[in-house]
Amino acid sequence: MAATDPAPDAAMRPVRIAVDIGGTFTDLMILDARHGRVQAWKTPTTPADPSEGLLTGVREAAARFGFALSDVGLLLHGTTIATNAVLERRLPRGVLLTTAGFEDVLEITRHVRRDLYALAPDPFPCLIERDRRLGVNERLRADGSVERPLVLGDLLDRLAALAPEAVAICLLHSYANPTHERALRDAIRARHPALPIALSSDISPEIREYERCSTTVLNALLMPVVRGYLARLSARLGEGGFAPRILLVQSNGGVCSLETAAEEPARLLLSGPAGGALAAARLAAELGRPDLVAVDMGGTSYDVSVVQGGAISLITQGEIDGLPVRLPMVEMRTIGAGGGSIARIQPGGRLTVGPESAGARPGPVCYGRGGVEPTVTDAHLATGRLDPAFFLGGSMRLDTAGTAAAMARLGAALGLPPEAAAEGVLRLTNTNLAAAVRLSLFEKGLHPRDFALLSFGGAGGLHATEVAEEIGIEEVIFPRDPATLSAYGILFGDLRLDLARSRLFRLEEASLPGIALLLAELRAEASERMAREGLPAELSVAADLRYRGQAFELLVPWGDVASPDRAALQELCARFHALHRARFSYAAEADPVELVTLRVTATGRLPRPATAPPPPAARPAVKGSRRIFAGGAWHQVLVWDREALGPQDLIEGPAIIEEPFATHSIARGWSARLGPAGAIIARREAAS
Amino acid sequence: MTPIDIEVIRNALTAAAAEMDVTIWRTSRSTIVRELLDYSTAVFDADGWNLAQSARIPQHLNSMSAALRSLLERFIRPEEWGPEDVVITNDPYCGGQHLPDILAFRPVFHEGVRIAYVGALCHHIDVGGMAAGSYAARATEIFQEGLRIPPLKLIEGGRRNEAVWSILRQNVRKPELLLGDLESQIASLEVGRAAIARLARRYGAAGMLEASARILAMSEAAMRAAIAAMPDGTYEFADMLDDDGVELGKPIHLHVRLTIHGDSATVDLSQCSPQVQGPTNATLASSNSAVMFAMMSAAGGGFPMNAGCYRPIRVIAPEGLVVNARPPAPVAHRVAVTHRLLNAMYGALHQAVPDRIPAAYYGCSYVATFQTIREDGQRDVLVEIEIGGSGAAPHKDGVNAYASGMHNNSNIPVEMIEAELPLSVTRYGLRPGSGGDGQYRGGLGLIREWRVEAPQCLFTANMDRFASAPYGLAGGMPAAPGRLTLLRDGQASPLPPKCDNVPLRRGDVVRLETSGGGGFGPPAARDPAARARDQRLGYV
Repeated sequence: MAATDPAPDAAMRPVRIAVDIGGTFTDLMILDARHGRVQAWKTPTTPADPSEGLLTGVREAAARFGFALSDVGLLLHGTTIATNAVLERRLPRGVLLTTAGFEDVLEITRHVRRDLYALAPDPFPCLIERDRRLGVNERLRADGSVERPLVLGDLLDRLAALAPEAVAICLLHSYANPTHERALRDAIRARHPALPIALSSDISPEIREYERCSTTVLNALLMPVVRGYLARLSARLGEGGFAPRILLVQSNGGVCSLETAAEEPARLLLSGPAGGALAAARLAAELGRPDLVAVDMGGTSYDVSVVQGGAISLITQGEIDGLPVRLPMVEMRTIGAGGGSIARIQPGGRLTVGPESAGARPGPVCYGRGGVEPTVTDAHLATGRLDPAFFLGGSMRLDTAGTAAAMARLGAALGLPPEAAAEGVLRLTNTNLAAAVRLSLFEKGLHPRDFALLSFGGAGGLHATEVAEEIGIEEVIFPRDPATLSAYGILFGDLRLDLARSRLFRLEEASLPGIALLLAELRAEASERMAREGLPAELSVAADLRYRGQAFELLVPWGDVASPDRAALQELCARFHALHRARFSYAAEADPVELVTLRVTATGRLPRPATAPPPPAARPAVKGSRRIFAGGAWHQVLVWDREALGPQDLIEGPAIIEEPFATHSIARGWSARLGPAGAIIARREAAS
Repeated sequence: MTPIDIEVIRNALTAAAAEMDVTIWRTSRSTIVRELLDYSTAVFDADGWNLAQSARIPQHLNSMSAALRSLLERFIRPEEWGPEDVVITNDPYCGGQHLPDILAFRPVFHEGVRIAYVGALCHHIDVGGMAAGSYAARATEIFQEGLRIPPLKLIEGGRRNEAVWSILRQNVRKPELLLGDLESQIASLEVGRAAIARLARRYGAAGMLEASARILAMSEAAMRAAIAAMPDGTYEFADMLDDDGVELGKPIHLHVRLTIHGDSATVDLSQCSPQVQGPTNATLASSNSAVMFAMMSAAGGGFPMNAGCYRPIRVIAPEGLVVNARPPAPVAHRVAVTHRLLNAMYGALHQAVPDRIPAAYYGCSYVATFQTIREDGQRDVLVEIEIGGSGAAPHKDGVNAYASGMHNNSNIPVEMIEAELPLSVTRYGLRPGSGGDGQYRGGLGLIREWRVEAPQCLFTANMDRFASAPYGLAGGMPAAPGRLTLLRDGQASPLPPKCDNVPLRRGDVVRLETSGGGGFGPPAARDPAARARDQRLGYV
């Protein structure tokens, strides 16, 4: 990888840029500390080499907003390069080395089928085929002791014969003892100095061989992909004095250096939703609302994440395309419901909405690009919630007649007038969205009434108050620039490093020395790695705990404990019982508790420049009025111009609020006002 | 109510079953529930018909309704079943399947009107009896298989029936696990009840009852349409189980005579073997679930699976047969009967819809139970349920190591077993050559080996398909049968696939080789590129 050292004075430069590279557009958010203004810019994504579009966007933004390339000190970069490489299988030729006798674990997976009734199922995805999985003569025990020492034999010759472009090493119980994996790595490196090698004991030293192996394989195969991209990006630095420090967004909602990303690219895999979740956490602080459910609705999917006590919830495992990734990630529930979701009549006369989506091509019927099946967006148009003349700020005309005809067909099949069928599509969508939000709260034992709903994404605002009503949430927040909120979240990211190690301990005094030793190792490593980034580390500790016999663990925060004593252990145990009771309605305080995995998170805080909101546009806040169909009848409602809203304006539902890239609906029984940070806050009025 | 109201309610009921499912998944204690995912949750209408279910185990899903209906008709009068009463049973002869499966039900009321039931079924790690795991392979009476809990109120008026809890505690090998899992089941019922009560506040009792009726009617209509699309006719097929573990080598015949007539189907099982001495018997609730599962999967999907789908299908199964056993026949291994019955159903359905039905999957839950006894006397139990390969489909190879048919289990991580028990797993991989050859090849079975690391261990197995292999279709070849081997002091000797409490000692290795799936179409028609790939990957 090319050197990527930023200019020595990078930290002193006034401009910070967040970039979120999506499939169609590259979104930029620019914060200039000289005036505190946050400004958004969009430029087409260049799929062949996304760094090209990135630089184009930066140059365009510099010209438009009046800063020099040499003013940019920090570039925070969200990328789907790793994600797309996996989804599209643009991956190098990998080899897996694993304990002999267990070469097929990667292919066997955990083998639970998802569609019970399918008669011709597809195999589970497997990224390294059987002839490129080699058994290693060695065996460790669960306590880390060596049962059979590592013997290389002809292994390196067999490996070389496969001409690998990346190597994954995952040996049984290596989470408890990495020495065999390291010895293997050293032996391979001596022969192939440039070959990317990923060790399971580095990337995911946690118990459960399949999940660890899957993570390690993904990491190995992504090393050449991400290194190549970073090299191309680095090569573009230097022009016009453009030499910022570059940090990449990880799945855990933090950012990391290029060096970390090059070694541990699997940490980027599920970073797509991280920007939105980061924005949610930042808004939670700005708005003084520590408990939020953030929902991001676009064309095809609805992503739900939970901010609790001001913090994003993380989980210890995610998956991509059916492949588990055992690394901390922002907890997100995704369902296939968006503006493009298709409404259909099924055999038996049932109406369904999604998960099939018309996407951008052909798109909803109203796009006039050949779509014939009505979508959620068509239902909004048919009920008057969308203005055919102001879609994307008026830059795209909608085909009202096409939508009306499609809704009439749907209505005829249901025995309903077209507008009632369209409202039915919206109601059903809202039920599905509400179920996803409720399940996200429910699985943590949380109550909707304690949360506000933060609605963003292009399509979210049209559903938010009705979804909130459905689940008993009393307040909905519509943040500024809802369509580019992810980039806004990235703008305020911090460096974050998660380390973990599995070792089974009874949670009792006799285990203290062992736990303390493991913790000291993890803390030292975390501090040392953050020091390499030039930042002091704030450490926090957590443990995966369970009752003996349980096979899944709860993640229990343990503060910043450094040298645990009896009291600290009791505190941890008490928290576990309390959390277990909160989530699962019982606690078994007399039962033995086990610690399975210990975790240390290091946070390196980046400076937080002050920001200033823009003044309202000097034009009337009410744009006009139009008819919408709601609750089985047409109503004439006011249409508000978001950019012209001032603090004095009171929006009473039913009402519509428009802005260039989003439209919001305030339902009957709700009223809304401009709140802090330019957000609109809607509240449900007391039940009459 | 509009069709939209109905769909809104149906989706909410499915979400309720999902919330119940999450509750059990996150709170249960035993590995069999937590890692093998051997449990199911469901929501029923006010008469006990299944409305919505969580997607876990086919064996359970289409049987819970029958169990609840049986309770209501024969044991607990609905008017005596209060809103705070939880009724449990595990008795196969009261609507259950086999003793380790404890069913728990609770009614849901709105303004004094019963509007629904919620139910949860867990396979418990042990309910006593002559073998650990309650999977005695050579029992000849149900009394040897464990504690039989008649339908009773475990919780009545919100108060625990402590006498029952102490009887349970006293009669099972791992009381803390069983009682912990039972607590999970009860917690999930409360979660389901609350979700349905929320819905009823909006739609009222009458609305819920109307919606329930219409949800079932819509699935019935869709199922009838799917059956009507199959050609009328009578289709017969027979498959067999190796034996009952008691009368060795005497096969048990599962014969299906399927008649499609217009929009309904009749499944006549009268020519199945009489019930057997050993535990390879099924109650009607079990057999029904295999028949319904076969018909529902062959219908091609696209509509919600619920009790409405059962209505167009009539099952004929006289009492006293292996598919409708009389008490006190033992039934622990009823899943063997339902696996094979499903194989037979698919064989018959292949004749009706040849472009849809795959060749036979391995057709067996490979249950292996190890009870280890450490130096200090501590006893631990590991119950493993292994799988094999799926059958080749008419246009596609089968899948290697794919949980198929009547069960749907996860495996237990090797590292977890070794961290918790004095056992090692010395090998876990695909079994080359075990898939049936054909134009499309059957999926491969597995090899798994366990080594005993304790001074004593008792091994119990309950397996099948060691003599009769999974069939191929349309000229495809059968898959390899299974094999169980004991490796001791360098000597290999076969272990019987149905055995109880075989004493093992430190260093002994038990090796299981499972069946693949059958092939589809003549082997000569296989694409040479696919053959070359099989060679390269060592699948054959």
